[in-house]
Parts: sequence; structure tokens; C-alpha cells
Amino acid sequence: MHRASVWIFLAHLCITSFALYRGENYREDLRVQPLRDGRVSTTFSFVTVLESAVPRNPNALGQLDESQHYALFPLTLGQILREYAITELHLTLNAGKWNYDNWGHPHEAGVGTGAELWAWMGASEVTTVDERWSGLRNALSGLFCASLGSLDSRRTLSPTVAFPLSGSTPTFSPHELRHASLPSENVCTENLTPFLKLLPCKSHAGLAALLNPQKVFDADWHGMGVHVTWKEDTGVELKLTLQAVFNPVRTSTGKRRDWNLQLLFDRSIEQSCPVASSSSITVVLPDGKDYQITPENPVHVDGLAIYDLSSSPNFTIPSNIAMYWPSEHSFQYPLPPLTPVTPLSVKRTIHGTTQTRGVLSVSVTNNSPQEISTGYLEMMPALLTLWMHTLKVEINSQIRSDLLSGLKYHPPSPQSNDRPSPSMLQAVLRIPPKTTLKISMEVSKAFLKYTEHPPDAMRGWDLPGAVFFPLPQSSHDTSLSYNWERIYTPTLLVDLPTPDFSMPYNVIILSCTLMTLIFGSVFNLLTRKWVVMEIQE
Amino acid sequence: MLLIPLPLLSQGTYIDENALQPAQVNTYWNWGDVHTADLQLYQLDGIQERNLTSEQRAEFFMTEFSKLGLAASIQNYTFSTSKGTISGHNVYAVMSSPRAAGTEAMVISASWLSRAGHGTLNLRGTSTVLSLAAFLKDYSLWAKDIIFIISDDYLHGMHAWLNAYHGTVPSNLYTDPLEHTSGVIWTALNIDYSSHSFSHLGVFHEGLNGRLPNQDLINSFRLISHYTGGVPMAVYDHLEPSDSVDRGQSVFPPWVPLSVQQSPQLQQYGYRVRNVVRHIGYQARGMCSGVHGLMHQFRIDAITLFAVPADGPHGFHALGRIVESTLRTMNNLLERLHASFFFYILTSPGTFMKIGMFLPSAILVSVAMLFKGLGEWVTAGWVWEIYETSLKSSETEKSSPAKGTWRNRRRPLLSALIVVVTTHVLGVLVFNLVCSRWFAEYPSFLAPAIFVAVSVAPLILLPLFSANAPEAAPTSMLLKSSNLCLASTVISIMSLLNFSLAAMLAITMGVPLATSNTSSSTMISRLRYAGYCVLAWGWLVLFPGEVESAIWNWEVLGVWFAPFIFIVYAPLVMQAAIVCLQD
Repeated sequence: MHRASVWIFLAHLCITSFALYRGENYREDLRVQPLRDGRVSTTFSFVTVLESAVPRNPNALGQLDESQHYALFPLTLGQILREYAITELHLTLNAGKWNYDNWGHPHEAGVGTGAELWAWMGASEVTTVDERWSGLRNALSGLFCASLGSLDSRRTLSPTVAFPLSGSTPTFSPHELRHASLPSENVCTENLTPFLKLLPCKSHAGLAALLNPQKVFDADWHGMGVHVTWKEDTGVELKLTLQAVFNPVRTSTGKRRDWNLQLLFDRSIEQSCPVASSSSITVVLPDGKDYQITPENPVHVDGLAIYDLSSSPNFTIPSNIAMYWPSEHSFQYPLPPLTPVTPLSVKRTIHGTTQTRGVLSVSVTNNSPQEISTGYLEMMPALLTLWMHTLKVEINSQIRSDLLSGLKYHPPSPQSNDRPSPSMLQAVLRIPPKTTLKISMEVSKAFLKYTEHPPDAMRGWDLPGAVFFPLPQSSHDTSLSYNWERIYTPTLLVDLPTPDFSMPYNVIILSCTLMTLIFGSVFNLLTRKWVVMEIQE
Repeated sequence: MLLIPLPLLSQGTYIDENALQPAQVNTYWNWGDVHTADLQLYQLDGIQERNLTSEQRAEFFMTEFSKLGLAASIQNYTFSTSKGTISGHNVYAVMSSPRAAGTEAMVISASWLSRAGHGTLNLRGTSTVLSLAAFLKDYSLWAKDIIFIISDDYLHGMHAWLNAYHGTVPSNLYTDPLEHTSGVIWTALNIDYSSHSFSHLGVFHEGLNGRLPNQDLINSFRLISHYTGGVPMAVYDHLEPSDSVDRGQSVFPPWVPLSVQQSPQLQQYGYRVRNVVRHIGYQARGMCSGVHGLMHQFRIDAITLFAVPADGPHGFHALGRIVESTLRTMNNLLERLHASFFFYILTSPGTFMKIGMFLPSAILVSVAMLFKGLGEWVTAGWVWEIYETSLKSSETEKSSPAKGTWRNRRRPLLSALIVVVTTHVLGVLVFNLVCSRWFAEYPSFLAPAIFVAVSVAPLILLPLFSANAPEAAPTSMLLKSSNLCLASTVISIMSLLNFSLAAMLAITMGVPLATSNTSSSTMISRLRYAGYCVLAWGWLVLFPGEVESAIWNWEVLGVWFAPFIFIVYAPLVMQAAIVCLQD
């Protein structure tokens, strides 16, 4: 009798947990794309959906929150989202610079070097958005072992046009954006381990079993992303992505571009993740006909070969998907002139050898036969001051100011904590077909107080990359049907006037002070005339 | 100054930056890569035989870089100078290092012409760069981008590239904007390997306008060259006495007695004298001793590795390993090289002199001149006035000194100042004339003409000035005092910017300026005047080659040695000449 009641209790527990289970859904996908320069781009995406869940209303932050029971959704992240009432969150940690010209647009748009964090939050009277933003930064930096805590008010901006809300807009309150980036953040194993912990199968089963830090961090480019969005019809969606660009030509002995999963990751998938509702590997087939792919007979759709792991009977995993070019002895790089893969290619440099001034120049090339309108966003820490009166827009050394419109500039503003906020420059550029547009403006470099210099090795200051983004289609939808996402330019390093903090200077300063003191007193003693004064009464 | 080369005064070199870790890595450059280099050399030999134009050559290099999958491009440039235009084609390739943001970069370069001169082609240096490009891109350990440059000609190719890269294009340079860019360049190696094989790797380090690279770069190269490649390092192409004896060369000229030649101490001294003299020769003229020297002005620490020609034993294998290891060391840097010395004289590969040891030699001369000038100023303020009475008595008794008193007198500076300003303005005029196209066309006629003109001009102009009133101090004394003070200031300032130039100024101006004097005899004062004129402007006639190269350096590379000599040095000596002329 007693035993039966225990069983009933256990069964009850199972049923309730199963009921919770139904609200969650997990799917994973790996997309492999051979690139024209012999490299292989891989994109893992792990999507967990909390069905019919709603982001927390920030006005209810003072009250007790509903209890959080997740089976697949990571609790650590869920707690952070509820605690700070985050509607939408995007965090990317990348290493390397994405070569748009050769690799095309990435599968996940957020490829800016270093760390980038942006979140949409509802305004509330209980706690301000900035307070929650600060809490979110610190919580995430603890969760991902990244220095996101330094994304403070010196780096925070609200560029709402370039980073719109990608899901639905909740109706409970007006929403605000906070965006910050840290280009000097290094991404390494310590960030990958907490990332893998957020997955329901960790790295034990499913596609995540391939994620071998030894190989991923040897790739030419790698980055991870956490994207939380809310869609009214589906619910809260958590998308964990990991992208890496491998270079088989570099790692293979015969300088061939052949690849297989075992070679790329040095791991294989032993079993699929049992809780995944779908698990697939998609290979983007290259243009030529001279390649072979094994195992054969996958589902072919529009130049894609799709291997479904979850539907395989008895979990027989096609352990090693391989692509090879039998007719090639070694890979021949395409010879110039090469046309870039993307319609826009952007270069950004900072000129000037002095430590006080410089010229920021950006050149944007439209490679397509149609005119392209693009948004241009510059988020500059207050280390540099952009001088708007020197802004020049040129095509072939001819001033074409008519191509720049909608210029908005927020100069760095002093804040209560004595840390100036970054400046923001936003403009719309029209680039005629097959031309290169050059934007240049003079900048002056800040002279920092000596306490504002970091204590570590002084290699210069990293400036975040500029962002080029497609404009909302509502204004005019003529021929601008390019379906492209944000383009990040590489980051820059700038030398600011730096005092010499090294030991010799300290010694010189100290010994000079000592010398003056001694000299002063000795000189005084030597030159003073000692006279007996007789004071007459 | 003669003490500078003494071994006692030098100290041993050492590595100051802990991050460098020289010669601590395993190198991967092997005989397969040497074979690649040999194949490249074979192709380059073909280019040399077919006598391709600079443009065709650039196309070839660009194809070679593109075959490796590097972002390569050609830069066309044209300099316009008073002697006509110079144009060329540089090829460069950027290797984006994996995982790095591309904010910092290192440069490996080779110029098409070798520094050995006489049109020697730097074929092996170029093929080393090409094969290194193929080799280095296969490793993922690079934290900085690597830029490979094959610059046209000897100096001006790299100069055009650097200016285009840093956006500081001077007005006389026309260049295409660079198609590929990378980050901030911190360090650079320039490879110069023209002979068949080499015994030593010579380091050339002097940059434009007397700039030197951080000594850590040279020191770590020395260690790497010794331990990784087994190649001894040399300063310039001077071999150490122990090495040069084997080759039957001596540091001394043949007329030196045999006993001196065989003394090891004197040999060591002679060797160091050669190094110091060569160093001063480059630095004083503001010339760079190789292609690397163009980079120092952009805060890039760079040296040239010169393969000292020999019958053996080293070749591509040693050079490749050394360059690879040096790059790994440079790759370790977390910040710019800053720890070691920027002001030094390398007396031998392992020893150097700190600025504190050699600076006093020039400063002492300068201070002496300042005191002399101040003394002259004080003397000018007083005159020994002899009493009327004692004057009569002195005629009778010649042995007794005349009685008199010191009288204060006025020191009107205006006329001396006019002379000073006029001489400097004359210097500017002459400089503009020499930089003009006419001078470039008829140097053999114009140089003596200018010399005569500037020497005669004061003779004509001087009588126009009204002499100071008899009760005031004579202009010559005031001029001499201001001249000495001015020269002393110039020397002390120069000694910090460019020690060698200051030392040369101290030698050429120190004694002559201090001893300039009026003479009672017109003949002697005219002769003295002529002597000073030769000292001031004589080089225009005596060293036409030097003048031409200094002007070229100024116009193309921006070396301010030529304007300095025309506008500062020559006028100062002319002022001393005018002192002699006045009575």
C-alpha cells in the first residue's frame, strides 16, 4: 500500500513534468558552406523555444515573479532574463575579422570583432532601464566569463535604427535599446565552456559533441552568439549560435580543400541528442560540378544537401560527412581580379602619425549594378572627437555631398559619473552602381588623465568597427531588394598621447625632485649673508 | 670624442623587454621551404635575364602572392623632384592572421635593388620574402597581420608605400590609394641578400634624420641569429677583428706599422672606430643606412638584415629560420617596443654606449662655446680707459703699465642682429636656388658661382652699414658673442635630436668660431675671411656629389640635413667670417 502510493506520487510527478515539457522545444542545426578561398564556414545553431511564454513586464518588477520551471531552457539564463525583464537580448563574442569580400555575408549577422551586447527592455517606473542594463551586463559577464562588465556608460548607446527589435513588440510599455561593444575582448575556451552548459545535452550528444575547443579555437575565425527574441505567436526563443571558419588548406598536409567533419573537429557524433525535436546538418553545395560528397543521397533542396540526424533509424549517425575534389591535386587559389561576393565592401582606416589628430576615412564600394542605399553608423568612444565640419563625401576625388543624407550626430556628452558617453554618427549613404564612395573626417584624440589609463600593457586603444545596415524598406522599395544584413568593419587601434609610465621616468622625476631640494637648501646656505643686526632701542 | 670607441666605456647589450623571449621557439622552416625559395630564385633569374620592366615585374610578384591566397596589390607612384620625375611599382600582400582583429601588423620587406649598390639586384632577398609568404601563412600562431612588401628600386619605393599607408602623402608624390590595408605597424624587417651565400648577417639600423630603432630589436635579433641560425651578427658589413684576420682583411690601412696591426687591443679599438665613424657618417647626414630607415618616422622599429657576401657557409636555410624566429619574437609583443634604448651607439655586435656616456663630449664643447660667448659679451661692455697723464708717462717709461680705469660702455646689438638675420636669409635664398631646376641642370657652373656670390656679398654689403659710434662696443665683438651663443644653443639642441650631427658641428664650429678675430692687418683678416668662407660654403664646390644626394634626400625623403646646413650651419660660420672682416 505504502509502496503503491510512492509509485503514484512518482507517476504524478512525471506527468506534471511532462506537461511542462510540452511547452518547450529544442532543435539544432549545423550548416557547412565551402567558400571560394578554400575555407569552410560552419554555423551551429541551437534553438530552444519556450512556447507561449511572455517576457516579464518591467512594471511588475517589484512583485514576486511566477515560478520558473524549465526542462530544456537554461535556468541560469532564464533567471537573468526574468530578473531584469529583458524582452530581447543579443550577445556575440567573436575573434578575428570576417572577410566579407571572400566569405560573403555570414549566416548570423553579428560578426563584429570582440564582444557586442544589445538588449531591448521595456521602460518602467520601478527600476530604470539603465539600472537593469548595468545588472544585465554584470550577470552575463559572470555567466559567460567575459569582461562584459566594462561595457559601461562610456560605451553604451541607443542606435535604434541599426539594431531594431527583431521579434514582436510587447504592448505593456514603450521599449528602449541599450547597445555596447568591446572590441578588445578575447574569446577563448573559458567562454565556450559556459556556452555549452546552456545546451540541454551539453557537449555529450548531438551536434554539440563536435565542438572541440582545440579545433574551434584554431579556426581562422570563430564566434559565438546568444540571441533571445520574443515572437507573439511562438513565444520566447533562445538561439545559441557558434560560427567558425576553418581553413583545410592550411591544416591539411597536401594543401587540399577537402574536408570532413572528423578532419574539421577531430570529433564525431556518437549519439544524437534525445530531446532534440530536429537535428540536421546542411551542406551548401558549391557551384562547380567537380566535387563529390559522401554519404550520398541526402535530401537536395536548392543547392543544399540536408542530413537529418534525428530521423535516422536507431540513431545511426552519418558520422563523417565529407566533401572532396578528386580532380584537384592541391587547391589553386582564385587569381585576381576577384569580384567581392557581397554587394557592398567597406574599408575603414585611421590615418595620421601624430598622437593628437588623425583622419578617419571609410571607403564603401558598391559592387552591384544597382544603386544601394545603406545606413552608416559610427559609435565612437569619447577617446576620439569627430569633427563634423571636416566631413567630406567623395567619389573619385570629387565632392558629392548629395549622396549623404539624414546625418545625425550626438557628440560625447558628459555624465554624472565623469565618464563621457560615446559619440554617435548616423547617416544614410546612396552609392551609385560600381563606384567607390569615400567618407573622411578629421578626428582629434583625447588627452586622458593619468588615472584613466589602464594598468596593463599599453598597446593602444581599440575602436569598435563601424556598422553598415540596410534601411527599413518602408520608405521606398524600388529595386533595392538586396536581402542583406548588417556589415561590420574591422576594428581599429589608435594611439593616444600616453605618458611614459616606465621606471626610468619615475626615477628621473624622483631624483630631480631630490636634487632641487638639496640644491635649494645648499644654495640658500651658501649665498645668504649672516649679519648681526643691532636693533636700536 | 676619441674615447668613444674605447671598449672600456661600452657596456654589454641585453634584452630589456621580457615579452620578447628571443630564440626560445622551435622553428619549422625546413629544406622543403628552401626548395621553394630556390624555385622562386630560378624564376627571378629568368626575370633578370629577360630584363622585364618594373611594371611587368610587379605583375609577376602580384600573381605569385595571389597564388598563395593572399590579398595582394600593386601600388603605382610618381615622385616629382627638381631633377625630373621618378616612378615605380610596389607590390604588397597582406596576410590576415587567423583569429586576430588585424589591428596590429608586422612587415617583411625587400627592395628590388640591394644596398650593395652598383645596381645589384636583391634577388635572393626578394625570393626569401616570397617563400616566407608561402611558409608563414600555414601557421595559426600569428597574433598580428603580416605585410609582405617588395618595393621598387632602393629607397623611394618603400617611401611611397609607407606614405600611402599612413595617409601622409607629400605634395610631390602622386600615388594610388592602397587597396588593402591592415593595422598599425609596430615592427619591420627588411631583407637584403644579394650575394650567393653569406657568412655574417649585418644589421643596419640608422633611420632618417638620425632616428634609431629600439635596441631590443637588434639585441633579440643577435641572440636569435646566434642561437637559432648559428650565424654571427655583424654591425654593418664590418667583420670583427677575429673574423676578418681569417679573411686576410685588416681593420687598419696598409701604411700602419705591423706592430700596431698585430696588437689585439688596437685592433679592437680600430674596429670600434670604424663602426662609430660609419654610424656618425649615416646619422649626421640624416641618411638611412637601408630601406628600414624610412619606417622609423612612423614609429615602426625596423632593421635591415644584410647578408654579408662570402663563399659560405649560410644560405636560405639559416636566413629563413632566423627570420621566422625573429617574427615569432616580434609576434610576442603586447605593446610597442619601449623598454630598451632609443639613443645609443653600437660599438660592436655585443656592446653599445648609452647616451649618458657619449653625450657629454658634444655638450662640453657647446658649454665652452657658451662661456666664451658670454665672456665676449662681458668684455664688450667694458673698455680700458687710460688716463691722459699716465699716457704721457708711459711714453717715457715703457716698462710700467699704463694707469687707467675700466669704463662701462653701451652695447648696441642692432647692427650685429642685422648681420645675423641677413646671413640666415641669405642661406634660405641660396637653399631655394640650389633646390631649383636651374641648379639641377647646370650644377658645375652654378655651384662655383653661388660660392663666389655668397663670399663676395658681405664684402659689398658691409660698408653700407654704419659702424657703431666710437664710444660704444665694436660690432665685431657683439657679433662674435651672439654668434658663439647661437652656435652653442644649436649644438646642445642638436645633441639630443641627432648626436652625430651635433658632434660634427662641435668639431667644425667649436674652435673656428671661438678664434674668429679681427686683425690689424687687412691682408690677414682678408685671408681669414676667405678661410671661413671656404668652411661655410666650400662644400658646394668641393663635394658636388654630397650636395646632390642631400638635396635628393630632402626632396624625396624629407631629410632636413640639407636645409639645416644651408640655413643654420653656413650662416653661423659666415657670421664668424664677417667678424674677421670688421675692424
